[in-house]
Amino acid sequence: MSEILLLIEVKDGLPDKKTLELMQGGIDLAGDLGAEVSAVAAGDETSRLAESAACYGMKRVYRLEHPLLKGFAPDIWVGALEWLCRKISPKIVLMSHSFIGKETAPRLSFRLNADLTTDCIGLKPDPKDGLLIRIKPIYGGNAVSVLKCTGLPQMATVRKNAFQPVEKVESKSDIILMTPDLDESMIKVKSLKTIQEPIVEMDKANVVIAGGRGIAEKEDFTMLEALAGAMRKTHGNVMIGCSRPVVDKCWMSSDHQIGLTGSMIAPDTYIAVGISGAVQHLVGMIRSKKIIAINTDPGCNMFKVADYGVVEDYKDLIPALVKRLEELS
Amino acid sequence: MKEMKIIVCAKQIPDPEAPFSNVSVNMEKKEVVVDAPDVISPYDENALEAAIRIKEETGGKIIVLSMGKKVSDTVLRKTIAAGADSLILLEDPAFEKLESRSAAYVLSSAVKKIGGYDLILTGRQAGDWDSGQVGLILAEILGIPCISLARSIKISGSRVMVEKSIPTGAELVESELPALVTVSNEVGELRYVARTKILGLLKRPVPIPKWGMKDLIPGSGILNKLHLVELMPPPDMKRNCVFVEGTSIQEKADRLAAIIKEL
Amino acid sequence: MIPEREMFWNIKGSWIFYAAAVAASCLLVFGIATHIYVWMKSAQKSKIPFSRQAVKKSILDIGLGRRIFQGDFSAGVMHFSIFWGFTVLAVGTTLLAVHEHLHPFLTGRSHLLFEASMEIGGIILLGGIAWALVRRYIQRIPRLERRLEDALIPLWLLGVGVSGFFLEALRLLGLKPPWESWSFAGWLLSGLFPVSAAESVYPYFWWGHALLSLSFIAVIPFTKLFHMIGGPGALYLHYLGEESKETSFSGDELPEGLPIRDAVFFDACMRCGRCVRSCPSSGAGEPFNPRDFIQAARRGVWQEHSPYGDIRFMSRAPKIKGDTAWYCTTCAACLEACPVYGAPFKTVLRKREMLIIDGKEVPDLMNQTLERIFHYENPWVSSKRERAAWAKDLNIPVLKPGNVKTDLCYFVGCTTSFDARAQGIARSFSEILTHAKVDFGILGEKEPCCGDIPRVSGESGLFQEKMEKCRNLFETYGIENLAISSPHCFHAFQNEYPQSGVHARHYVMVLKDLMEAGRLKLKQPGGVAVTYHDPCYLGRHNRILEEPRTIIRAIPGIEFREMAHHGADSLCCGAGGGRMWQGKEIRGDARMSEIRIREAEATGADILITACPLCLIMLEDAMKTVGLEKRLRIMDLNELVVRSLN
Repeated sequence: MSEILLLIEVKDGLPDKKTLELMQGGIDLAGDLGAEVSAVAAGDETSRLAESAACYGMKRVYRLEHPLLKGFAPDIWVGALEWLCRKISPKIVLMSHSFIGKETAPRLSFRLNADLTTDCIGLKPDPKDGLLIRIKPIYGGNAVSVLKCTGLPQMATVRKNAFQPVEKVESKSDIILMTPDLDESMIKVKSLKTIQEPIVEMDKANVVIAGGRGIAEKEDFTMLEALAGAMRKTHGNVMIGCSRPVVDKCWMSSDHQIGLTGSMIAPDTYIAVGISGAVQHLVGMIRSKKIIAINTDPGCNMFKVADYGVVEDYKDLIPALVKRLEELS
Repeated sequence: MKEMKIIVCAKQIPDPEAPFSNVSVNMEKKEVVVDAPDVISPYDENALEAAIRIKEETGGKIIVLSMGKKVSDTVLRKTIAAGADSLILLEDPAFEKLESRSAAYVLSSAVKKIGGYDLILTGRQAGDWDSGQVGLILAEILGIPCISLARSIKISGSRVMVEKSIPTGAELVESELPALVTVSNEVGELRYVARTKILGLLKRPVPIPKWGMKDLIPGSGILNKLHLVELMPPPDMKRNCVFVEGTSIQEKADRLAAIIKEL
Repeated sequence: MIPEREMFWNIKGSWIFYAAAVAASCLLVFGIATHIYVWMKSAQKSKIPFSRQAVKKSILDIGLGRRIFQGDFSAGVMHFSIFWGFTVLAVGTTLLAVHEHLHPFLTGRSHLLFEASMEIGGIILLGGIAWALVRRYIQRIPRLERRLEDALIPLWLLGVGVSGFFLEALRLLGLKPPWESWSFAGWLLSGLFPVSAAESVYPYFWWGHALLSLSFIAVIPFTKLFHMIGGPGALYLHYLGEESKETSFSGDELPEGLPIRDAVFFDACMRCGRCVRSCPSSGAGEPFNPRDFIQAARRGVWQEHSPYGDIRFMSRAPKIKGDTAWYCTTCAACLEACPVYGAPFKTVLRKREMLIIDGKEVPDLMNQTLERIFHYENPWVSSKRERAAWAKDLNIPVLKPGNVKTDLCYFVGCTTSFDARAQGIARSFSEILTHAKVDFGILGEKEPCCGDIPRVSGESGLFQEKMEKCRNLFETYGIENLAISSPHCFHAFQNEYPQSGVHARHYVMVLKDLMEAGRLKLKQPGGVAVTYHDPCYLGRHNRILEEPRTIIRAIPGIEFREMAHHGADSLCCGAGGGRMWQGKEIRGDARMSEIRIREAEATGADILITACPLCLIMLEDAMKTVGLEKRLRIMDLNELVVRSLN
């Protein structure tokens, strides 16, 4: 029976949310194609991860285990996945369009002689030939392409939120331990050190207050901070984000960036301050439940996608708003 | 220090800064129509800036490789005016709308034809299709080390040291040369290129070789074209915006506060 | 006995004096020659013609101190006293030398007159110096620096003057000539000394005075005193330039080197700081000031062209950061204030040209803006499509190539076309034109950028491209009359483009012409108090100062008030020189626009009128940020006029 292989990514020792979504995508495809879904957990110690991944109704979970797979060295991971794919010849290989997926999938696709489509928001089988139909936004989200590739395996990386996360089931997947054939000589790029920077997980926030090109100066982000402070008491986790111009000015690190090349988020409330609403930014926040836009230009795009809008200079509005919110609480 | 020979791959795309009212989808022809002139993909401009900075430090040569149809001279000559030494166009009907793997194959043939390179720089992804594949696959084809998402690049001897972006911060990595590095925007914007410099080049043209299928790939049928089944406009994102009105700023703020309270 | 001066009374070894005088003169000549050498090396090759008019104007400026009295009477008195005191003494001393060695003529009555004049000259000089010291060190006037040189030079001259008087006193005491009271100051002083001292102390004072004077002459080229020579040079070259109207581009290539005028101006600058006082950027606490910028430029020129490096003492100017050049708004207030007609903003523009060619120190937003102008003919949006959106429902004819019927082409300009607030200018101006039954049209989406932003950003290549585009377009469309919204576009067409057959007028001029022709009757009473902000490129750069005021005053029932700074003395709103598009990372303690809006507030006017889209946007913003929405409205002149039409 043909096999759909997907790569498990880990977060705190368990499969992360993107992986759970990917599993659901794989299971849907398998149903249509009459195929089996397998997942691979790669690392130096994978038993706990594999155990956990085995609860989601897939056929099997491979434990691809090797001391060199500790951490994430792209050279080694590509090698290990290549080894596995050659061994099991999957029909379809799926990964998240994440840091790991972006690094490994293209290189793996070359080694497996496959054509890859990255950053898909939908996948379905073509009923005629069973090939994967890949739906991918292009031109910064201004168009959506539907693509097909011939040859095996069929490969794609999948954007976050493309599928619902998979639910746990009673039955357990088979867990198969495998030791890939790896050696140190495969490492061409040596990691010297990593620099921990404060991790910002924008997708954890209930409320995101984001500033854009319209923010006049770096210090003005303290106003957004003040608003976040005022909302935290009632609205849970409130975080500050930004659009790309702010990162380009080095006022904020890129992990605060919302949009195509930053985080794709879907918070309960999104407050856009001085963001005109380039489509590259909109795709990153359009799934927010409520969108509030503050901008001086009533014609800007952000108001077209917002639920509430205020045409006002943020410098005047936000201090007044903070004052009022504090009075109310 | 050894003089570097750096190859920068630069793609020409319709200006991604164009407002979305200028972008439309022709579903019949399966084409995205952008009412905007072509520019060099922004990340590729970052890559060129990185290359120029390396050249300023170590000396050497920068060769820009650009593949695509209808390449506009004026736009690409900007790369030379900015500090690249030569520009090679890869132009052939067979090179249009290729799968990433095939595009990388064409580039690899050109790179091999140039030969003797130390470093290849590309943008992390192109500003039109955002695939982010070609650079990595090019390194695979050439069998050279591949480092992605560079924030800064340093050459020391025969090694390249790169600070790359990772989800938890930054990672300092190094590899032997030759290597391929894909560049992220943190490297910095391409320096301004004065029009006089570009005009000067246009008046005294620098020869720009054009390489086609016959120069690079003997035989045919190796290249895969992108199979576009369908092209659709984006889903409508429009919502009905309720504007918060008021005669004073405080009134607007009070009303907005009430809305926020209710959320 | 015939009144006459004993030259070398009680002095031995007068040959030493002559040797020292020759040495001092040599140093003076050598110094001046070095300056001239540097000017010739650094400046563009050009002929300096003789102009009687320019000489006359320069002499009047120098003699009367007109530029120094202007705007600062106290400084004028100081300079006038020192100048004339010094001149009288210098001329007197020269005459004395002539009398001694060539032709004795200072005898009898002329000697007495001579002595009295020298007394008066000396007293005026000392008074001037004392006043200068009071201004700098007691009043501590902010624009004046207090470096070592600034103290040394006046004290030196003070020493020359005082020692001269004492010397005279001792001489009179020793010789007791019967006409001694003609030298009244020395005569009065002589009472202080015992007669016995005169003979013994006299030589010391004589030599001290001689050496102080000679060395003072010798250091002229090596200190800020060089303005005595550079200043007249700069004035002459300025008046010469006024006679031949200059435009930025006469040929294809930029000429090598500085305009000779600037090379001389750099050396004529004696750091009086009037430009600093008038500079809106310095005034807003930004890290830019024209004086330091010019001094840095001067040093740069000397480092490059002088065979001995910088010959000036104590001229270690603070290092200027590259990005400083981006602060200037090119408002020309510095040129207005400079006693020697220096234009620091032109030096800033040349520095920007260098930064643009180098490319590395161009602010990111400026970089994007210039790219946008290149691709999309405007600095605001990456699209040409919405250019005529403001005119959608107004039925304004869009001109076509070969158009011959329309009288007037309204050149709307980028900011007026794209900015929501500034579009009000276009709408109200077209309403006025329609009301006055003017046959006019617009260029619609075909309207190009005039290139002024590239020009003031130092992107001369892009400016030239835009200029050629505009000129070609005017030609193919058969456009002869232009009405222009923005003083910036107007300035470019008027002064930076080569002369052509196109008659360009800013809308203020059009309104004035319509009023004079009786086609615009302002009937509706205003009933408000208004004040007017002069846009720099309308007022200072193009001297259109009275026209807008005439129009405002023509509205019945309007009360017109002037702000503290008005007319040629107006304060910049902070948007010029491309500042509006340079990103806000360059910013001082206060915003120029807010400083300006406070001045408007102080007049108590209800409405602040301006005549430039950039000023309109800046002032409107500032009005909000300082919270004056309830008290003050910002309006374009057209918007005010429209209200009074019917």
